[in-house]
Amino acid sequence: MECQIDNPFSTKQFTMKQLIALLAGLFLAHAGFAQDVFMCRNTGLSFFSATPVEDIDATTDKGTSAMNVKTGELYFKVAVNTFKFKKQLMEEHFNENYLESDKYPYAIFKGKLVSPPDLHKDGTYEVAVDGILSLHGVDKPYKEKATIIVKDGKPSANAKFNVKLADHKIKIPTLVIKNIAEVVEVTVKAAYNAAS
Amino acid sequence: MKHIYLLLLGCCLGLHSFAQESLEALVDKEEVKTHEPVIATYKSTRIIQGHSPETLKKRELDFRVAHHFGDLGGEFGGPKTFFGMDNSADIRIAFEYGITDRLMVGIGRTKGSGNLTQLYEGLAKYKLLQQTTDDHVPLTVSLFGNAVVSGMTSSKTISDASYFGKFSDRLSYTGQLIIARKFTPSLSLTLLPTWVHRNRVGYKDQNDIFALGGGGRLKFTKRLGLLLEYYYPFRSKESKDYFKAQGRELYNPLAAGLELETGGHVFHITFGNSTAILENQFITETRSSWLQGQFRWGFNISRRFSL
Repeated sequence: MECQIDNPFSTKQFTMKQLIALLAGLFLAHAGFAQDVFMCRNTGLSFFSATPVEDIDATTDKGTSAMNVKTGELYFKVAVNTFKFKKQLMEEHFNENYLESDKYPYAIFKGKLVSPPDLHKDGTYEVAVDGILSLHGVDKPYKEKATIIVKDGKPSANAKFNVKLADHKIKIPTLVIKNIAEVVEVTVKAAYNAAS
Repeated sequence: MKHIYLLLLGCCLGLHSFAQESLEALVDKEEVKTHEPVIATYKSTRIIQGHSPETLKKRELDFRVAHHFGDLGGEFGGPKTFFGMDNSADIRIAFEYGITDRLMVGIGRTKGSGNLTQLYEGLAKYKLLQQTTDDHVPLTVSLFGNAVVSGMTSSKTISDASYFGKFSDRLSYTGQLIIARKFTPSLSLTLLPTWVHRNRVGYKDQNDIFALGGGGRLKFTKRLGLLLEYYYPFRSKESKDYFKAQGRELYNPLAAGLELETGGHVFHITFGNSTAILENQFITETRSSWLQGQFRWGFNISRRFSL
């Protein structure tokens, strides 16, 4: 079917078919873009430190994370007061004395994959992540290794890295210094879904 | 064709704006607000002598020692008693335990200062409401109760408050509602409607006394805070006047203190006019006055163990 459209600015005439193809193409581009961004609303974070006196172990599954597989951008955000400890008193001290979650409610990591692989393809990728961790009001650059597994087009990420408390001005009083390690190991687990 | 151009432009703009939306904004939009509990309205289960809304957590044992010295000034104070240090007005040693994160129980032995001495106390405190950081619940509300029995030898004078005709004469009780709010990270305030019942009291005294307590904490640093506590007992005028005429005037307990936390230990250094440590006595039988130098320093030591 031919469709004539008056156009004072152009002599070129589109067929309806061409128009539909063009629009469809644009919509696909949209859809394609949306698939580049993935979200994880229950990102698991935990940290662990062993000291001569006791092990400190806390977890949360209330982190939120987003990843753009095309650009390799990554973003993590977690409310500090959602970390749960086995010992309640430790949790209180963690929030009150060390992380000061009243003043600094969130821990945020903003980073980028270094030379991101094609994460549209299923597979296991060892990647390097470069970014800034904002914790206890102090921003510090980190360069860490992570594993990204893509299955059925959905990525999931795992990473383990060390945070030195002094780097983020988290002060441990000398009285309890043997109870608290100066470096804690942080584990991150995120299973992403396409952002809607 | 104009319409087509507009449509295309719209599509492009749509695409453009989507690309501009950062991951940060996306996460912020998705973030689920949870009702996280407000932590440490007070660092200890007591404000000074009276209770705070805090309970011990599950499987936590709290070993507590409280001490009130003698009058700092006045007739019994001054340098000859080293400002009250040589006298102990009241002493309490107790073990308290968290059965759940909201329910704690405890047993304690208190010397006692008032009509009765040699006091054994059983207590329970339950946290009914927990304030949350998003103000979904704006207050922390706890319910406290104790029962105290005196082990002292009965007086031989029948009119004495310490004459025990039967075992129940040795008993007294406190029931208390503790309503608190942590207004800012450094300011917590508390109201404490309180009821004290003593099975046996002296002439013109009251078996039941209602009191309204008020308390608060102002934190200077992460580990150091100023505490204040006051109770107003609603005693009948007749009873007040009688004791005043007898020269045994009753005063309202007012105390100030410093709270120092060192990770597991909480120390309170306190100043107050009441000699007694337990609610059953300091609300009903405080006979010393700040204005006459009859205040004392005291301390609370709390050591918490996670079992």
